[in-house]
Amino acid sequence: MKRFCVGLLAFAMMASVFANGTTEQGGDTSFNPAKDINWTVTSKPGGGSDIYTRMITDIAKKEGFVTKNFLINYKTDGGGEVGRAAVANTKGDLANYTLLTFNSGDLMPMDKNTNNRLANFKPICLMAVDKQVLLVNADSKYQTMQAVIDGVKAGDQIVIAGSREDDYMTFKALINELGFTEQQIPYINNDSTSDAITSVLGGHVAIALAKPAASQAYVESGKMKAILALSNKRFTGVLADAPTLNEVGPYKAVEVPVWRGLAGPAEMSDAAVKYYSDLMRKVSETETWQNDYIKKNGLISEYMSCEEAAPFMVQFEKDYLKKIGKDK
Amino acid sequence: MLFEGFKVCLSFNNIMACFAGAVLGLFVGAMPGIGSLAGVALLLPLTYKFNPTTAIIMLGALYYSNMYGGSYSAILLNIPGDSPAIMTCLDGYPLASKRKQPGKALMTANTASFIGGTIGIIILTIMGPLLADIGLKFGPAEMTALLLVAMTSIGWLVGKNPTKGVVLTFLGILVACIGMDTLTGSPRFDFGNTYLLGGIPFTPFVIGTVGFAQVMRLMEERHNAVKCEFDRLTIKASMLDGHDMKRILPFAIRSGLLGTFVGVLPGAGATTGAFLGYAAAKGFKTEVPLGTGAIEGVAASEAANNAAAAGAFAPLLALGIPGSGTGAVLLGGLMMWGLNPGPLLFKTNPDFAWGLIASLFLANILTLLIAIGIIPFLLKILAVPVKVLIPCIITVCVVGSYSATYSMYGVIVMGISGVIGYVLEKYGYSTAPMLLAYVLSPLLEEKMRKAFIISHGSVATFFEKPIACFFMIVLFAIVLTPVVRAILTKAGVVKKKK
Repeated sequence: MKRFCVGLLAFAMMASVFANGTTEQGGDTSFNPAKDINWTVTSKPGGGSDIYTRMITDIAKKEGFVTKNFLINYKTDGGGEVGRAAVANTKGDLANYTLLTFNSGDLMPMDKNTNNRLANFKPICLMAVDKQVLLVNADSKYQTMQAVIDGVKAGDQIVIAGSREDDYMTFKALINELGFTEQQIPYINNDSTSDAITSVLGGHVAIALAKPAASQAYVESGKMKAILALSNKRFTGVLADAPTLNEVGPYKAVEVPVWRGLAGPAEMSDAAVKYYSDLMRKVSETETWQNDYIKKNGLISEYMSCEEAAPFMVQFEKDYLKKIGKDK
Repeated sequence: MLFEGFKVCLSFNNIMACFAGAVLGLFVGAMPGIGSLAGVALLLPLTYKFNPTTAIIMLGALYYSNMYGGSYSAILLNIPGDSPAIMTCLDGYPLASKRKQPGKALMTANTASFIGGTIGIIILTIMGPLLADIGLKFGPAEMTALLLVAMTSIGWLVGKNPTKGVVLTFLGILVACIGMDTLTGSPRFDFGNTYLLGGIPFTPFVIGTVGFAQVMRLMEERHNAVKCEFDRLTIKASMLDGHDMKRILPFAIRSGLLGTFVGVLPGAGATTGAFLGYAAAKGFKTEVPLGTGAIEGVAASEAANNAAAAGAFAPLLALGIPGSGTGAVLLGGLMMWGLNPGPLLFKTNPDFAWGLIASLFLANILTLLIAIGIIPFLLKILAVPVKVLIPCIITVCVVGSYSATYSMYGVIVMGISGVIGYVLEKYGYSTAPMLLAYVLSPLLEEKMRKAFIISHGSVATFFEKPIACFFMIVLFAIVLTPVVRAILTKAGVVKKKK
């Protein structure tokens, strides 16, 4: 009896070795999730980040790229900073099962308003890039970008409406290239692009700075006109008539791409980062992703693996911190 | 096209979806802390796989019927089920508790909700796109002038001690300032705390100040609580007679029209609609004074918030612009279901758009019938012992506050604001001005600053634009009339009011 109990105990202790949650075999060289994956979204359901996240998780499950479930958590406190801080501070094995939807629109306010930095995360990948376009009301007196430039020089009260920090950075790049100041052409920040578009449709503001996805319906219906593509090359489709800045005059084309990516906590293992990076690559190559998300939202498919995304995001943060004077 | 819409919405699946949305909305609306925004946001992910028309019918019915449900806990417990029901508390609870007519209060709320909602849906049907265009005309200068007029309604809420009312108003403005500056993104009053960067969350603050404070009062008075005995807790006994209908009809119609219009305005929403609907009622005679249990007050608030919910669909469907926070979530849903919300929605997806509008008519009728049917059940809540009721209400408030922020931060805010609300009421400070200021001042600040940016700092913009000028004239009239009247009375030109 005593031997039987000792044997049973020994077997139980031996079995516990194989019951380890992380099946990292051969040290840090491979990772395969053994439990559900927590995915933090730092904005409200129904928004752009939510749609982006759900599209990825739906495709990953449907195509059988992953067998475990994604548990999406919305952490919107503090404008999303609490959620980002929570992910950054995730330690131990849980770090390998924690993902964060991470966009340029998240990085910039984080750097501006908190002490949290990219160094507290592990960039996993980039999935898509977005650019912007300038829109005017269909019956605006400024029907071209040249008319806007002439108007500003003549002292007209022209205001640009955009949303959030990423639009503001593009606006700054634009006026720098044109040689204008913010006093000459003020910028109004809005909570969302639809607020900016509303103000132009109502004739209260001359120009809206918006993403192609939000713009297409209004241009197609004839209510608005796109007068400038904030990109190195023209957009396609209904926005194709909008010239780039170098086509308007003796200027360089302006683009400040807005990117959508994915990150994990700093303590995520390299093997886990590689796994998720490859997973996202597979998602980005599916037809569903290309047709139902990228094309539909007028985005540019720009997958960057973890090896490429990390230096890209680091440089992006460095440039941004320099622009806002926090680069010490 | 509306008949085509009825053909779409009267399929079995869509009727069941409408029914499910209506029931859920009543339930969600009745529970303090969980409003339409939380309800739609929680349910939205479940509908991603639905047919888009079925999904929007269910969510639209939930959003709409939430306005019915919000009045129930406001009337029975003095705890608003959601923020648009705050004004319903002012007359609904005294009518139920002091005048011992809870059935009549609930029936008034349901009837007025139906009338206001019907007005809103009819206007949406006939002139949805035009309504949306009218809403567009309200830019920052126009909204500033309108909101200044709305802020004057605080004067009617300050009660007997104007000084206390003004103190609370400024406290409400101060609380609203906490967080990130809406235009520059700079932190204000965050004290280096990441949670405070996002400001004081709206729902937990309102539920705490009004609802949790009420719970604390119930706890304090639980030994003195007299068991409410109502002789006849039947639907028949709750029905409104001809005289009551005559009293509430003008208020419901007026507030219905006002609420529809407010619902269309960018960023206004059902809460602002309810505030303005109730404030407008103050300008008319009522059989009993407003704030003491007048059915006119209940009707004004409820008709306005239902009408505003219907009106909010106008910019959403006609232009792809959400008229409220819940509208923004619905917009995300539209995109997720593969639709392109925007000016072409009626052209590219007429079945969807008209099916939704038709379903609002259906939701209105279904919700009214269900709401009337559950009145006896609701009235039984009043017979529940306080020692059982309190933990239930606390649980619901905690769940609702948590769901607003997906974290315990909302619960902490609810608790602290509840204590503050309780202490304020104990010392004779009415919290209504604070809540109104808290709701309106962020919107007023944002619009005013934008107006000044657009006009390069010129005040003349508020008088050069016709709509803004009109509301500024109304504002001066409201502010100066009492002053002029006092002067003329003193001079003997005008007889003193008795």
